[in-house]
Amino acid sequence: MKNVNTEISTSKENDRVIEYAGLSFYIIYNTDSLKTDDIVFYDAVIIQAGDPEFTRHIITRIRGHFNPEHYLKPVLLLNQSSLKDPYINLIDGTLYSLEQIKLILPSVQNILLRIKDLTFTSSLSYEALIIQKTISFMYSRNIDKMKPNVDFNSGIGYNYPILSVNFSRKEEHQVLNIIKTMTEEKLITKEFHDSVYLCNNCTSGYMSYREVCPKCNSSNAVSQDIVHHFPCSYVGPIEDFKNQIDDELNCPKCNKTLRHIGVDYDKPSIVNDCLSCGHRYQDFNVKAKCMNCQFDNEVEELKKSTINVISITKKGQVMAVNGYVTTSRDLQEIKGTVKLDTFTTMLKYEVERLKQTDGKSNLAVLHLKNSGEAYSKMTTDLQKTMLNFLIQDIRKNIPTSSIITFYSSSTILISLNDLPLKIAKRLTQDIVDLMTALIETNFKDMVVSIDHSVKPVSNKLSGELQIQQLVKDYF
Amino acid sequence: MSTIGEFISYIQALGPAKFLRVFWFFVIFEFFRYFLLDLVGLILHRVSLWVNRKKWKRASEQLKKENPLVSIIVPGKNEGKHIFKLVKSLSEQTYQNYELIIIDDGSDDNTPIICKSLLKNGLIDQFYRNDVRGGKASAANLGLRFTKGKFIIHLDADCSYDNDAVEKIILPFYYDKDIGGVGGNVMVRNYKESLVTTLQAVEYFNSVGIGRIVTSQFGIYRIISGAFGAFRADVMDKIQGWDIGPGLDGDITVKIRKSGYKIHFAPEAVCLTSVPNTFKKLAKQRYRWDKSLIRFRLRKHKDVLFPNQGFSLINFISFFENILYNLILNFKWYFYAIDLVINFPDLLVHIMLTNLFLYTTMGYIKLILFGWFRTRSNAPNYYFLPYIPLMVIYFGYFLRFVRTRAYFMELFFKASYNDPWNPLKTSVHAKEKGL
Ligand SMILES: [Zn+2]
Ligand SMILES: [Zn+2]
Ligand SMILES: [Zn+2]
Repeated sequence: MKNVNTEISTSKENDRVIEYAGLSFYIIYNTDSLKTDDIVFYDAVIIQAGDPEFTRHIITRIRGHFNPEHYLKPVLLLNQSSLKDPYINLIDGTLYSLEQIKLILPSVQNILLRIKDLTFTSSLSYEALIIQKTISFMYSRNIDKMKPNVDFNSGIGYNYPILSVNFSRKEEHQVLNIIKTMTEEKLITKEFHDSVYLCNNCTSGYMSYREVCPKCNSSNAVSQDIVHHFPCSYVGPIEDFKNQIDDELNCPKCNKTLRHIGVDYDKPSIVNDCLSCGHRYQDFNVKAKCMNCQFDNEVEELKKSTINVISITKKGQVMAVNGYVTTSRDLQEIKGTVKLDTFTTMLKYEVERLKQTDGKSNLAVLHLKNSGEAYSKMTTDLQKTMLNFLIQDIRKNIPTSSIITFYSSSTILISLNDLPLKIAKRLTQDIVDLMTALIETNFKDMVVSIDHSVKPVSNKLSGELQIQQLVKDYF
Repeated sequence: MSTIGEFISYIQALGPAKFLRVFWFFVIFEFFRYFLLDLVGLILHRVSLWVNRKKWKRASEQLKKENPLVSIIVPGKNEGKHIFKLVKSLSEQTYQNYELIIIDDGSDDNTPIICKSLLKNGLIDQFYRNDVRGGKASAANLGLRFTKGKFIIHLDADCSYDNDAVEKIILPFYYDKDIGGVGGNVMVRNYKESLVTTLQAVEYFNSVGIGRIVTSQFGIYRIISGAFGAFRADVMDKIQGWDIGPGLDGDITVKIRKSGYKIHFAPEAVCLTSVPNTFKKLAKQRYRWDKSLIRFRLRKHKDVLFPNQGFSLINFISFFENILYNLILNFKWYFYAIDLVINFPDLLVHIMLTNLFLYTTMGYIKLILFGWFRTRSNAPNYYFLPYIPLMVIYFGYFLRFVRTRAYFMELFFKASYNDPWNPLKTSVHAKEKGL
């Protein structure tokens, strides 16, 4: 056990490491290289923030990393003066001198403590990985609500802390897809903040809106009034009425001088002449030229996307602690299962059927308590193989009319139709034994803990409610 | 029963002198002008076609070789719903080198939205909209100002056209270099819709389909329908487009004639139009049209009737024929009726029955004989057979009374200047200048 130092001191082994209250702070100077690999050995990072460009680089490297040892690391800025949003949302505090570590210590300690709650698994998809990262970051910083910030450098015009940092400007629209998935999975709730229009070609949010010629898209045009001379019905552009001698307007048809607008003439419309192609038109086309890929978008065809403020839900926090492995989309790809939606619908029909007949159907739930631990020991590919394997084995043991779905990556629901409860219970127990055996043979030191329960399907309650009641103990 | 017996003996007793004394109106008006003269005109037209067949063929070759750009202008208010059908029907034309220009004269429905979308999709070439209505002439002139073609065709949005109509209406310009304007053959599309549309179909068949072949043959054809007319762009430039209406179709025809050009009727350039489907709507339409005879023939262009610098005998005859048969004889009919009442009070019923018989017989002869001269018809002749007797009432009474009222109102009250068909801002100027 290390001595707990009560004064701020420089480490004996490394002069860029400061020790205080049992924690080690690694200082990155702005004359350093951009490598940040060493930070995993220390509790927190202090960036000497004289050069904003350099500071942004370092923050991007740390927060954009895929290893929680990097992206969750507490980061403090020293002497920061010029750093503006959105990077300010990715740091955990600022110091004007190293002495101030004392002041900021409690919050750093708190972050480190909360990180200890979290389980990290390898995710089934890139999307799941970013989701895991987001909920872990929000949990560890105790952030309930995350507000996007207007950002000139963002590809979609808004920067989402911890989400946007994972994507290049070009790919940043993916953030919106991830938020959509997180909402569908009920990890977050969202509330409207703003709308943005994105380029159809590259999804960038930076566009220049111009009025252009509908024929050649040039914005090089001159406009003039159309004049209607009432007495003779002559109508034409105002140039027809001009002369070279004076400012009077004379009608080219009847030679009269225009006197009084509204009395002997009016200007019912305008006309534009394109100086690029000579086309004459009344209505401009409004086009949005993408400043990223130069694609000229029709404004009506621009994709409208909503920017939301997001709040983490209870489920989101639980998933951060238990380890988030997969999105339901990933699970849908496992053969032999159906989507949860489909499962719910089929159960609804089963309830209806039971109202008409005397049949007996059952609903079983299997929940792997330490799934985070199990998943964390597997690579993504191995996880997929294992799940496929597991489902195939389960299917061998149950009637073909049974339906299987993943409620979450650790919870499986099985609808066992037209069976007495006793048999359904026995079958479920068989499955538990099978799963335990499968995990124990593959993961030597792991203690398997599978909860399960079987209930007859009631024809008095809705299918959805029966599912809720069955799984509520596990969430 | 005895009246019929009396009537038959009355007919039998009629000698030629007595017949003329009592039925002179029928003889000059219907028999001489609208049967004999028409028949002669039709025969001459046939002969002329045959004699000049090589010239017509050369004209057709010349047109195909030159393939000039034709500008089609369609002015209108709240016509959006017809535009797409019009565009589709034009795309079927045998003549394809045209530009389509739509002018929206202050529509207050979804016309601008429809037209802008058609413009965007390249289905129309130019679209102009005036937010405030300026009247038909100004809308047509706006379109005209931006045309690029060698020939201008003026269309109504709610009409439809035979596939070769554009080609057929342009062709006469290549036949005779002096032709400045060509009128198309307007037929009634909704002839089955109601009694009044059927009667109008018969009327159009006589007055347009036959009547205009004849007047064109005699060189006195005087009205190019707004629904379908073609003009030489250089001539339009010279006469500076349309003047304020109503009746601007007839007006522009006169203007072309006065600048020394011929007007031609193209019977094969067929356009189908929907005519008013109730007597009330028809009366309103005719009231407007008939007023313009007074306004344009007797007022604006009265110089045609007097020997002066630009006097042209053929234009004089064209006007004179129009005034004689429409205006003078229209009023003369009342003298005829009074004459009968005073001098033959006992025989009124017999005379009326005889007139009915004479007009109906004439109607059948014309339907069958003139039908023979038609190259293209939109309805089978037999369809109209039961309606011929009604034409006497339609033509002899209904239209006559509408016309009388129109002439009277225009002659004494200049009613056309108050017609809401034109925006007030333009009407006040027309009235002030006597246009
Ligand atoms: Zn782009
Ligand atoms: Zn003027
Ligand atoms: Zn252009």
